[in-house]
Amino acid sequence: MSAITDSMDHGHGHGHEPGLHHQYEDMVQQTESYIVGMWVFLTTEVMFFGALFFIYTLYRWNYQRDFYIAHEHLNVLMGAGNTTVLLFSSFTMVMAVQSAQLKKRMHVMGYLVVTLMCAFTFLIVKYFEYASKIADHLYPGAGFATDAKLAFGEHAMEGGKLVANMNHVQLFYGLYFGMTGLHAVHIIAGILVIIALIRLWYNKANSVIHDYVPTEMVGLYWHFVDLVWIFLFPLFYLMPKPH
Amino acid sequence: MSSTVIATDELKPKAKAEEVNYLNVEHTISSWLLTGDHKRIALLYLVSTTFFFLLGGMAAGMIRYELTSPAGVVLESDTYNKVFTSHGIIMVFTFLVVAIPAVFGNFLLPLMIGARDLAFPRLNLGSWYMYMTGGTLILAGMLFGGVDTGWTFYTPYSSMYSNTQVSLVIVGIFIAGFSTITTGINFVVTIHKMRAPGMTWFRLPLFVWAMYATSLMMILATPVVAITLLLVVFERTFKLPIFSPELGGDPVLFQHLFWFYSHPAVYIMILPAFAVISELVANFSRKRIFGYHFVAFSSLAIAGLGFLVWGHHMFVSSQSMYESIVFSLISYLVAVPSAVKIFNWMATMYKGNVVMASPMIYAIAFLMIFTVGGLTGLVLGGAGTDIHLTATYFVVAHFHYVMVGGTMLAFLGGLHYWWPKMTGRLFNDRLAQINAVIVFIGFNLTFFPQFIVGWMGMPRRYHYYYFAPEFQAYHIMSTLGSTVLALGFIWPAFYLTMSLFNGKKAGPNPWGAHGLEWETSSPPPVTNFLETPIVMDEVYDFDPEAEHAENRRRIEAAEAAKSDERKGSMEDHQ
Amino acid sequence: MASSTHTHEHHIVPTRTYVATFLGLVVLMVMTVAIAGVNLPAIGPLSGTVVNQLVALLIAVVKAMLVISIFMGVKWGSTLTKLWVASGFVTLIVLFGILGDYTTRQFEHQPGWEKQADGALPRVTPNEPEVPAADSNTLNVKIRQ
Repeated sequence: MSAITDSMDHGHGHGHEPGLHHQYEDMVQQTESYIVGMWVFLTTEVMFFGALFFIYTLYRWNYQRDFYIAHEHLNVLMGAGNTTVLLFSSFTMVMAVQSAQLKKRMHVMGYLVVTLMCAFTFLIVKYFEYASKIADHLYPGAGFATDAKLAFGEHAMEGGKLVANMNHVQLFYGLYFGMTGLHAVHIIAGILVIIALIRLWYNKANSVIHDYVPTEMVGLYWHFVDLVWIFLFPLFYLMPKPH
Repeated sequence: MSSTVIATDELKPKAKAEEVNYLNVEHTISSWLLTGDHKRIALLYLVSTTFFFLLGGMAAGMIRYELTSPAGVVLESDTYNKVFTSHGIIMVFTFLVVAIPAVFGNFLLPLMIGARDLAFPRLNLGSWYMYMTGGTLILAGMLFGGVDTGWTFYTPYSSMYSNTQVSLVIVGIFIAGFSTITTGINFVVTIHKMRAPGMTWFRLPLFVWAMYATSLMMILATPVVAITLLLVVFERTFKLPIFSPELGGDPVLFQHLFWFYSHPAVYIMILPAFAVISELVANFSRKRIFGYHFVAFSSLAIAGLGFLVWGHHMFVSSQSMYESIVFSLISYLVAVPSAVKIFNWMATMYKGNVVMASPMIYAIAFLMIFTVGGLTGLVLGGAGTDIHLTATYFVVAHFHYVMVGGTMLAFLGGLHYWWPKMTGRLFNDRLAQINAVIVFIGFNLTFFPQFIVGWMGMPRRYHYYYFAPEFQAYHIMSTLGSTVLALGFIWPAFYLTMSLFNGKKAGPNPWGAHGLEWETSSPPPVTNFLETPIVMDEVYDFDPEAEHAENRRRIEAAEAAKSDERKGSMEDHQ
Repeated sequence: MASSTHTHEHHIVPTRTYVATFLGLVVLMVMTVAIAGVNLPAIGPLSGTVVNQLVALLIAVVKAMLVISIFMGVKWGSTLTKLWVASGFVTLIVLFGILGDYTTRQFEHQPGWEKQADGALPRVTPNEPEVPAADSNTLNVKIRQ
């Protein structure tokens, strides 16, 4: 890593602002490039999750009733709690960025640590949610629950008749584990990045203390993770009863 | 030439600094493997893509050899499936998508816009490592049993039935896809934010415009295939049923999502070729390109329309016929911007001072071949005719006319054109000219018979045709042609490598071309330009009158020299 | 070039804006949970279920806009940033065009086509049993019983 930074540092005869890389003329150009670059990356993430949301839309639209029955097993309270946790972590993250702009180092680290705590809380709640699904044989595969009445009780009945199609329920849980799982992977990646950022701030690294942009970029990523959850929550946890 | 940058010979005091260039500034292996310099990363890409091209070419050779007999020659059916899949995957994901953007785009983009480097050098190096990791995983998959799904990985075969290394190879493609995305991000930000003073959007070389369009598609389309293929892996390993028909999932949905990327990917492969050809045609015609704005915007139009035509790969997939009609219609629309380019290139050559150097021969060969490839695309884009031709050799011939005859020829043309800039050495242009003709002949001999045999009904992905032995003549012709083509691909490796040792030193501008990259020394210094260039003149700003006069002067001088020589030899005889 | 003048002195947003945004987001979240439990009436051709879902999505979109414009600072960003923010969502709309296939398949089966000797090939052959209405789907997939 340091070899790269060294080879990049030579030969810029333009200003000597700390944190300015050799390929840029000034900090304005560098900041704008990094922000735009981050947004271009987030665009790819939009498409990445977007395709998943499309698949979800298609199946949900076709199997409304079965998806509604399947969603009864999800715990709205846990979902809402997790949403609040993520929203709050977004808030602390944005405060960390603001403190970075004001060069208040201790504030930055404090806010980042709170963000990190929120991320862990989210994962712990997620763990309990996943565990309850797996315990009830709602993880797709050969061992998937076959008896709708056993799994969903009265929800699977309509007018004394069994209406749930467990194949479609399995499809729902395939999407549930796929989408929330990929979101959780993004949370874990975010945790790693935030830990790295805290370390840089702790070590008073030049790359962060003279320039708020690295902190801002981690912030953008974190808000994006929040953004995905903002859509996942109503789509999975808050299905209206078909009426 | 022009006044865009300080002419290099005016910089006497800095002459010593000029001798240090990006190639000789450091010599250790780590200085290459940890470099942030876009020019060195381009060379890393050049070596690695060539390696993968060689592997893909070997698979192609096996396919052609197998098809010389109606009953097959050496391969079992299973092995044949794995061989054509390897050929497809290696060529598409590790060569065609990467080759021109990552090699020439990386090398030239900062030079052409007058920047010191790409916006994110470390990301650029990272993208090469991702590419190598992906490529290695793909190769590992091929070695540990191969894949037999075809490069398209259609479900449910790939997700439920295929008992081969599908997951490993898909993970490789996923990682290689990230490398494409990061390259795209780098290019977009560089083009937006790093242009030299005076380099307005309409002074950008057309290469840069086409690279911008390519990057747009890399960024917007690649994530879709990444997630789609990842879901196939999830289905295989974690049993998450997304495309599983027995649970109510839809395998055709996979095709939709796959082609939502893979059709734009076709343009990711061909737009960089357009980029190279625009440079070649303008510079070797010594003329400002005809209809600059139209060519520039046609790239963006192709990028935009490219997102709206994925369904024309799915006419026989149980897709709604109404959607087929719409897709057929929009597919025809893509022909418009493509034709704008072809006609503008021809109009550029008209009354220009066409210099028949080897890159220009490649460019002209490209024009001829791509026109055939594009027009047969219309035959396949028609929802009706396509049903007759689906999965025949007609399709195979069509996309090889576009991909090999288009992208590969542009790659070779670009390689010859920018070789002096990359290495600072001139190669033997006579050999290169002969080679270009060999490639052209070999290519047509290989793929033209496939149109005929495909039209007659030869299915693709079959390794026998005992049901129609009359196809053999065409297959043998095709195999002969592929041998010639292979010669045409291997020979440049020799004379280009030779040029490194005994080639003459190339000046800053050996071709008499126009553009910022030709105004710095060859090979360029580490920071590309000794001082930030200030662009004052328009793009491709050739003066036709002066070029004509210069041409006349050169011809007259050559004739005078010849007659002097004759006179001299006559005097000797006396 | 879309270089912005205000990035010279990067915009520092006051804390109260962020607090207000966060509180707004929480209120919206409570709202969407509350509305999910109520069966909204049908509006015109849209059934009540669809109305419920549309309201939930509308709230999610408002929340997303708040996060993007204020937390992610796009409100104070350059035009170029805004264009790139939009580009992903616009392409996503194109991706949702795949729905065009699934929504138009049902119109393909025109009554009378299957009776014509050389008309277009119908999707469901007449002697095949119809898929039961309870499991009807437009995916052309047979349900495993």
